[in-house]
Amino acid sequence: MTSANPQANPNDETPVEATGRCPIVLLLAFSLAWLLVSGTLAFIAGVQAHTPAFMAGCPILTYGHTRALQDTAFTYGWIANCGLALVTWILGRLGGHPLRAANWMGVGALFWNIAVAAGMVGIATGSATALTSLQIPGHIQPLMLAAYASIAVAGVLAWCGRSRPSLYAAQWYGVALLFLFPWIFSVAQVMLVWAPVHGVLQAIVEGWYAQSLWTLWMAPIALAGAYYVVPRVTGRVIPGYDLALLGFWSLIFIGGWTGGRHLIGGPVPAWIPTIAIVASVLLLPHYIIVLLNLGGAFTRNPADREGGRSLAFISFGLAAYVLGGAVDSVTGIRSVAAAIQFTWFDEAQRQLAVYGGVTMMLFGTLYYALPRLAGRAWASASLARGHLILSCIGIVLLVVGTAGAGIVQGSDLSTAGVSFAAIATDVHPWLSVGSVAHATLLLGNILLAINFAMTVGCGRLRAAAEALSS
Amino acid sequence: MNDGELLEAHEKLLGRQPDDRAKYRLLPLVMLFVLSGCVLFAATYLNRYSGHFDRSIFNENLLPTGSGPVDLKPDPIALGRRMFNSGGACYSCHQPNGQGIPGAYPPLAGSEWVNGAGARVVRIVLDGLQGPVHVGGKTFGAAVMPAFGSSGFNWSDEQIAGVLSYVRQEWGNKSKPISTDEVAKIRALTADHKAWSEADLLGVK
Repeated sequence: MTSANPQANPNDETPVEATGRCPIVLLLAFSLAWLLVSGTLAFIAGVQAHTPAFMAGCPILTYGHTRALQDTAFTYGWIANCGLALVTWILGRLGGHPLRAANWMGVGALFWNIAVAAGMVGIATGSATALTSLQIPGHIQPLMLAAYASIAVAGVLAWCGRSRPSLYAAQWYGVALLFLFPWIFSVAQVMLVWAPVHGVLQAIVEGWYAQSLWTLWMAPIALAGAYYVVPRVTGRVIPGYDLALLGFWSLIFIGGWTGGRHLIGGPVPAWIPTIAIVASVLLLPHYIIVLLNLGGAFTRNPADREGGRSLAFISFGLAAYVLGGAVDSVTGIRSVAAAIQFTWFDEAQRQLAVYGGVTMMLFGTLYYALPRLAGRAWASASLARGHLILSCIGIVLLVVGTAGAGIVQGSDLSTAGVSFAAIATDVHPWLSVGSVAHATLLLGNILLAINFAMTVGCGRLRAAAEALSS
Repeated sequence: MNDGELLEAHEKLLGRQPDDRAKYRLLPLVMLFVLSGCVLFAATYLNRYSGHFDRSIFNENLLPTGSGPVDLKPDPIALGRRMFNSGGACYSCHQPNGQGIPGAYPPLAGSEWVNGAGARVVRIVLDGLQGPVHVGGKTFGAAVMPAFGSSGFNWSDEQIAGVLSYVRQEWGNKSKPISTDEVAKIRALTADHKAWSEADLLGVK
């Protein structure tokens, strides 16, 4: 496959940008705002984890609140907004027509963010549910579902009305995630909030939801972006593309079964964790295939030099994603789980997956998409470089620090003589590394937000100036 | 590579490509082995640690005991107490305290019939009792005792044995319990028998 000439269409603008710029950029702006909120809360929670007196005077920001708020802002604020914007953009471009239902998307974006903001207020004022990843108060959740549907209409229409009958891998993942989120979100809502199931079944459903949110929704968001950006930047087709379909279906079919991993040793029938362990091993081919397919991200000299920064983010994200999959399989083994379960290691795994994997791939796609959406290059290359460096350092520190804390905590907990205070002392240095990492990540994300505002805002200012002068 | 080229190039890859040069491709074969390895592990692990998907197995190293549902024997006294107090049965005439009603229903507490031969009380409960009967030196004859066997309430052998064992140890009575086998034996002997009279019963040893 010869590389295409990147000069063929220097602006690379399609009708999608003309029709969908407004709602897509709006979603991206919201997502970055939530990313900063979440980063700030993550830093506070990180410090509180080893210095409980921090912010103790502020009842809204006690540890339980900051953790729940951070999780909500990150998942439903950052990942949802940015993911939906970029996936709709990709589906629109591959659909080959102007974006339809863009106004639905804009309205949905407003209501989604109103709902998330109301949810944050609800959590802070004490009406949070006690459910992992679903802390938003029950009465706000139906609004989120409706807003999501409104946003997703544009992506679904772009897929239904596409100009070519065949579908590309980015479209598989993109369309699947648009439909999968309402399914898992509504099932969790009914079974946990509206008509709660009883006893241990609740823990099973909750484990399924938290895991499915990651495997069936966040991972497809990241992969849709990566499958689109990598061949476009490298100018090469996906190697081993005939395996990609197997990779896709194995994630969709098996991904939802891995939730019971969190219940190893819990009061559930033995087959539930067993099936989850088996599922996480059966997912290994998925990770191998993704690594093979997207290995082009590690290219040093891509055909499209502008896209090099996107590839740097995506290659880091890809490595973290595959590593996360391998770690999931290893920690699923019962004897390993016995040593590290219910410790900080769980948190490290989660950060590796949602920050190292998904967020980094989203950053990569964002760096590729925004110049096309805004109609001009990123305002500052050095801010972008700073963001990349700070993100890489931050994630490595975060994952290593938290995992170290988990291993120390796990071995201490297995020793009967060690007191609670001694465990807290042992874990302290590792968790301090974690809060330094949160600060680093927050700094990086502030650079991204400034760069974004300069790129989008300056474009606007220039357009206004041109309109005035003409 | 623009969007159109991207779609076209990958569309071609998914279609069947003629294997003109008979080129040997290692990758699909390697993936086949990897996949088979994973499936083999998964199947073995699932078979070994699933507890046969039994909802009562919480330790993955155990297997269901395989004897099927456990045969639970209820406590005959508890069963008897429940039968005694069930709707329209014993307690409504003989009273919950087993004292009966003077002049109408004979008492069970201290009764020579209740504490007498098992063969007689089993017959009374199975087929009923009609006509005058002497209990504790008093004569009762106004009421009819209904049958609890197949011609009446249709209680099982186990239920009849339970209720008799219950009354034979309650309210100060201290007689031996009645076994289910004993009830079954007498039921077979007295099939189709109508209600007993005192004279008939005194003939039973």
